[in-house]
Amino acid sequence: MTSHQLLNNIDHKELRVITKRAAEYGDQVMFSPTFPDEFRSVQAHYPIFFYKDNATGQFQAAAMFGFSTGENLFLSDRGWDATYIPLGIVRQPFLIGFQEFQEDGVSKTQRVIHLDMDSPRISKTEGESLFLEYGGNSPYLEQVASALELMHQGFERAPTFIAALLEHELLESFSLDIELNDGSNHQLQGFYTINEDTLAKLGGDQLAALNEAGWLQPIYMAIASQSHIRDLIERKNLQMARET
Amino acid sequence: MIDQVKRVVIVGGGSAGWLTAGIIAAEHAAASDQGLEVILVEAPDIKPIGVGEGTWPSMRATLERMGISETEFIGQCDVSFKQGSRFNGWIRGGDAPADHYYHPFTLPTGYPEVNLAVPWQQVRDQVSYAEAVCPQVAVCNGNLAPKTISTPEYAFALNYGYHLNAGKFADFLRRHCTQTLGVTHIKAHVSGVRSADNGDISALLIDQGEPIVGDLFVDCTGLAARLLGEHYGIGYVSKRGVLFNDTALAVQVDYPQPDAPIVSHTLSTAQRAGWVWDIGLPTRRGVGYVYSSAHSTDESAEAAVRAYLAPTIGKDAERVELRKLSFNPGHRREFWHRNCVAVGLSAGFLEPLEATALVLVELSATMIAEQLPSNRQVMDVVAGRFNRRFLYHWERIIDFLKLHYVLSERRDSDYWRDNLDASSVPDTLAEQLLLWRHDYPWRQDTVHAEEMFPSASFAYVLYGMGFSTAPFPHRRRRDQKACARAGELFRQTRADAQKLSGCLPSNRALLKKINAYGLQTI
Ligand SMILES: Cc1cc2nc3c(=O)[nH]c(=O)nc-3n(C[C@H](O)[C@H](O)[C@H](O)COP(=O)(O)OP(=O)(O)OC[C@H]3O[C@@H](n4cnc5c(N)ncnc54)[C@H](O)[C@@H]3O)c2cc1C
Repeated sequence: MTSHQLLNNIDHKELRVITKRAAEYGDQVMFSPTFPDEFRSVQAHYPIFFYKDNATGQFQAAAMFGFSTGENLFLSDRGWDATYIPLGIVRQPFLIGFQEFQEDGVSKTQRVIHLDMDSPRISKTEGESLFLEYGGNSPYLEQVASALELMHQGFERAPTFIAALLEHELLESFSLDIELNDGSNHQLQGFYTINEDTLAKLGGDQLAALNEAGWLQPIYMAIASQSHIRDLIERKNLQMARET
Repeated sequence: MIDQVKRVVIVGGGSAGWLTAGIIAAEHAAASDQGLEVILVEAPDIKPIGVGEGTWPSMRATLERMGISETEFIGQCDVSFKQGSRFNGWIRGGDAPADHYYHPFTLPTGYPEVNLAVPWQQVRDQVSYAEAVCPQVAVCNGNLAPKTISTPEYAFALNYGYHLNAGKFADFLRRHCTQTLGVTHIKAHVSGVRSADNGDISALLIDQGEPIVGDLFVDCTGLAARLLGEHYGIGYVSKRGVLFNDTALAVQVDYPQPDAPIVSHTLSTAQRAGWVWDIGLPTRRGVGYVYSSAHSTDESAEAAVRAYLAPTIGKDAERVELRKLSFNPGHRREFWHRNCVAVGLSAGFLEPLEATALVLVELSATMIAEQLPSNRQVMDVVAGRFNRRFLYHWERIIDFLKLHYVLSERRDSDYWRDNLDASSVPDTLAEQLLLWRHDYPWRQDTVHAEEMFPSASFAYVLYGMGFSTAPFPHRRRRDQKACARAGELFRQTRADAQKLSGCLPSNRALLKKINAYGLQTI
């Protein structure tokens, strides 16, 4: 169980957050959830696939870092080898929470920042401080806050995007067969991509509707991102060559 | 041409009527201008029978073919997952928990390449047949679901059918048939028939309104069999001498807590003059005692139901209201006569021991839909084929149901003793049993391309009941093959059972999630 606390400048005044990218800080992951508004940045480095969330069965987009659980081919001793790191990773160990409050006798909820106190990133000695001397937010925390805000907006819109994909039958399951330089074969299953044949057959009205909703761009971004599968395989080959 | 089949009229709005309407309408594009016209007439004053809550896995394909979303079906019909049946007290009687076996829906591991019944004989004292060959038993024992929220609609980790609310199911099908599939719904009581010169039905007379003309009439009027029975007088073949049960006392009971576990299989518990079904829906259980009125009075049957319920619902067992249903076990001598075909209870009914009624409806409607004669000239040919196929199905069902009784060692009442009387055992079953004493059920038992029961079902019941097959007198290649692979396949079954028990949600948890998030279609 992780323990989440509401971030505040009294309890967490002395805390620092380590922003180094390394396995020991939980970066050894196969993928990070992403959302359509982030596709443009993500597709410059990572393949974008879709997967079903285990808890809800709902589709999510993912920026892929590896081919198996716990494999991140961008991570090395020198840190994270890409100029853009998805917000799902960058935001650690913070997350969005909701807080109820009363306004004119009406109960409302507002977004607040929560902190995962079990994260290995949390430190008293090392890393970025969260608050300024007199309690104001540090520039780092401001950055985190805007990343969280962006993510929140993005993930809130994402289900509509997914619904549009499903409605037009634009998602298809696929399994990726990979042959590495050492002759070994691997298979990646359980992921989905954009069905380009269906996309090519959509009529003008359907395309216009997708475009109007802002979904045409992320669809093509997701397609374009597929070219990084090669890149990921190359990274895997290099890693294996280094290990032997 | 004058006598083309352009309009099909279905009489009856129970599960049989609406399933038949939907299956035919979907296949023949009733919703389009160029499609077949499908009309369903239903008497508002005669309620559907309102029982029939366990289905076969075939229902998944049936619903999918009708274009139904499984998520909507689950949400609107109080559906839960059925993964087979568990038979309690059938082997020797008494309450010992050891006296039970499963007939799971998932085929044995290795089937149909390898027959694990052969090597299982060596370990039969240590592990039950079903548990040795099928991971579903462990999943049923844990009240787990056959899939997860990530499994697409109609797909599965383990094969499954449904438990459902019969009343809501008929309503749901009606909405889908009328709103999506283009079926016309007429509420009227059919009071008579207008005959053509050749003896065909040309129109149905209704209490109010114009007669309803049609080219093919499907009799789904339930036990009344208004067209095939009453109008045409097609005889009824009673099977009371084989399957004694002719009465049911049905009841619906609440769970002790709203989130009590939902059992993922039908429970069938043997009694002194029949057996009790117990079906878990998300909202309630449906329970009923099916018994032989020749072997039990209604009073002692009622006492048996209440005694069955007492351990789970306490004092309420004394208060719940029972509903009595009587039926004559058997079927019509023929089902398709002239331009009229009976589907559902109008065609016949046997005790619901293996929930064979709805699947027969699905099979009948599918054959009508797929082989719908394009005109009157060819109809008699199709009718003949239909009658031969379904007579065969009825006979196989009768054999299969009777098998459950003849294997029992219960001798605690006349009912169980009478069931062994040779005159009550069909020749076909007696022959089959003789064969099975000397060889395992296997593919040779599949005579027709479209059998209702695979040999796996016979094996589950036979070996579940403790039946012995003598070892074959010499080595056969196929037995050797089975024994060579046995270790690996038994291990695989155990590993699957463990893995699935670890990752499948409870039946109730998954149903809640489906209602919250829905299942994906891919
Ligand atoms: C005790 C019991 C338990 C059962 N359990 C199972 C089970 O677990 N699994 C399973 O698959 N099956 C089971 N069945 C069988 C199942 O209930 C039926 O096969 C199914 O409900 C289909 O019934 P039906 O539509 O043929 O008839 P009904 O439900 O009786 O419907 C008859 C329809 O015909 C209409 N009608 C009748 N006369 C006229 C007329 N003159 N004019 C116009 N309309 C008319 C009525 O209005 C009604 O709509 C069980 C049956 C019983 C009795």
